[in-house]
Amino acid sequence: MSDDVILVIVVVTALAFDFTNGFHDTANVVATSISTRALSPRLAVGLAAMLNFAGAFISLEVAATVAKGIVNADAITSTIVFAGLVGAIAWNLITWYFGLPSSSSHALIGGVVGAMIAAVGWSAVDGESLVAKVFVPALIAPIVAFSVAGIAILVAYRIVGRLRPGPVNRGFRLGQVVSGGMLALAHGTNDAQKTMGIITLALIAHGNIDPNNFHVPTWVVLSSATAIALGTYSGGWRIIRTMGSRIIKMDTAQGFSAQGAGAAVILASSHFGYPLSTTHVISGGVMGAGAARRLSAVKWGVAGNMIVAWILTIPMAGAIGGATYGITRIFGTGAVGPVVVSLAGIVAIAVVFARRVQRGSVLTAGAGS
Amino acid sequence: MLATVVDWETLGEVAVFSLLAGVGVTLAFSLAIVGATRMVEMRRDGRGVEAGAYAALMIIGLAVSGAAVVFGIIVMTTK
Repeated sequence: MSDDVILVIVVVTALAFDFTNGFHDTANVVATSISTRALSPRLAVGLAAMLNFAGAFISLEVAATVAKGIVNADAITSTIVFAGLVGAIAWNLITWYFGLPSSSSHALIGGVVGAMIAAVGWSAVDGESLVAKVFVPALIAPIVAFSVAGIAILVAYRIVGRLRPGPVNRGFRLGQVVSGGMLALAHGTNDAQKTMGIITLALIAHGNIDPNNFHVPTWVVLSSATAIALGTYSGGWRIIRTMGSRIIKMDTAQGFSAQGAGAAVILASSHFGYPLSTTHVISGGVMGAGAARRLSAVKWGVAGNMIVAWILTIPMAGAIGGATYGITRIFGTGAVGPVVVSLAGIVAIAVVFARRVQRGSVLTAGAGS
Repeated sequence: MLATVVDWETLGEVAVFSLLAGVGVTLAFSLAIVGATRMVEMRRDGRGVEAGAYAALMIIGLAVSGAAVVFGIIVMTTK
């Protein structure tokens, strides 16, 4: 009975993480399209939600199970997964509150690593894998996207520079619909998979799925796709504003170059099996498209805040994940700990949202801007 | 330590492929815009041959961009 309750809590928490993932990372996909007026805000998030939903079905190869090779898989328990998810959700909500784009995947990895350290100790974490699979890609992703977007926008300006701005803007706006769509598909394929992987692992640990006959149940695919699509449709407007207009004021060519570079880098990394964070890639692309035109066009203070958030993501999500695991263990090894933490989390989020709603719509603030 | 744990070869491939694809798509789409814009201007001026050449440029640019999108979807579905 206790195991059943923990399984249900893990599944619900994983879907809640999936929702925050869509909600938090909507900005990656739609911000440039909105800021250049290629799409209206509602249409952009609606399209992104649909394509995120579709993207979740494109590939069911749960190849990159979260934290695979980084932590000792044999030592993972449902409670560790739960604590890791809480760490990731909490960090996603904190960075959303401050309008900072940060990697949901890193938050999840950080949360699981932190909970693992609290449960088993440092020996359960492979430091070299953490450096090779997480830290180095985190450093490389924005640099590659920055360079590609920078060169791409210089090429675009060189070619269309002598044309009248009207047709050029219309053309690039049209292109942004496609490049934004590609980003949304790639995001849905990459990120919904993580939730599917986590829920499937929980089902294996619970004995619902034979580990020798690994498959993702249809209800897991459907629920994960729905959660990320609903999160995307809710739209994290604070981050959209940061990404779309607070880093640079973009023209349509810059928006297209940033999205094109982002899609190229994400797909290249998928093709060669080198996972990179969607958030880091798009942020790097946006900065590159701005800096190539004029270094001072980029608001480096905002960019600096984002980079600080990236650096803090794994340690902070890890600290929250570790603390969550510690709190659950106060109540023993049963379901009481996760139930208490879940209820406390729901109450805390409800209080924060209620306060924000009193001051204005929490979800749609800035939707029209 | 970094030299041994990081797969620099794959990372290099990602960087080169990203550069070629990202810059290539922007180049192709920019040429399509040039083609479309100039084609309209040439047709308006009654210069049919030039309009045809720019129409071809537009079609090639759009075809390359479209091929990149199809390739991207194939990459997503086969990973």
